[in-house]
Amino acid sequence: MTVKELVDQFDLEVVAGPDLKKEIDGAYIGDLLSNVMARAEKDNLWLTVQGHQNVVAVALLVELSAVILVENFDYEENAVQRACQKGVNLLKTKKKSYDLACSFCESNI
Amino acid sequence: MRELSLHILDIIENSRKAEADLIKIKIEENLTDNLLKIVIEDNGSGIDQHKLEKITDPFITSRTTREVGLGLSLFKSAAESCEGDFEIDSEINQGTRVTADFKYDHIDRAPLGDITTTISNFVASSGDQVDLVYQHYYQEKCFKFDTREIKSELEDLSIQSRQVTAWIREYIEENLAEIRGGEAF
Repeated sequence: MTVKELVDQFDLEVVAGPDLKKEIDGAYIGDLLSNVMARAEKDNLWLTVQGHQNVVAVALLVELSAVILVENFDYEENAVQRACQKGVNLLKTKKKSYDLACSFCESNI
Repeated sequence: MRELSLHILDIIENSRKAEADLIKIKIEENLTDNLLKIVIEDNGSGIDQHKLEKITDPFITSRTTREVGLGLSLFKSAAESCEGDFEIDSEINQGTRVTADFKYDHIDRAPLGDITTTISNFVASSGDQVDLVYQHYYQEKCFKFDTREIKSELEDLSIQSRQVTAWIREYIEENLAEIRGGEAF
């Protein structure tokens, strides 16, 4: 599944979408950036409550398919700018991580 | 990072790579002012003004010059997310000083963690090349550890040798427990 297909299927908001054709492979949930760096895998989706520019740096390093900011939090402006420059997809949703992850699971993501 | 001691380890590794031969770590636990302060100072090669302005920008250090890493960016956001402050000063060929303040009882403040292991492992791997001064304040009490003083007592034995680092470990552990009155981190 691509990020674009995910956005359509789960009604996610695209905040920065420079590379929506990226393929998704699994997901990781966490808010401690060093841990995400260590444990998330390439092409994972990343569900988090953090919206600052370090998030974009971590997504870029680990080569994640997209960041999903949950619980209706907002990204900081410089994070959005960086994401557009560096080709990192930033999405958001009103849902909580657990609920979103459950619906992903039902769709075998 | 899960523990502040891991941030400290990351910073002193930077110092070592910057060819410092003396690193000073100061930790102040000031419960009266609800403040935890960490200061790390080295005499390494320093960072020029231009680079210093962008040193905590993760994109300056993440991809192109991977050897520096996200360490400082993460340390800065750890301090700021606890209503604290972060500062870095540096002068070429003089050294660098990193200061991080945390609100002591902030709910998001990571625990100090295993500082004994951080210090003793660093001495075990780099003690021959790099001297370390570690000062820890808890309220009015203070404990100071200086590898230069230990080396002057050692004569021919390396500070990196097993029996010395085992002793250092115990020494730090006992002294920390003493100044902190048995209080857990």
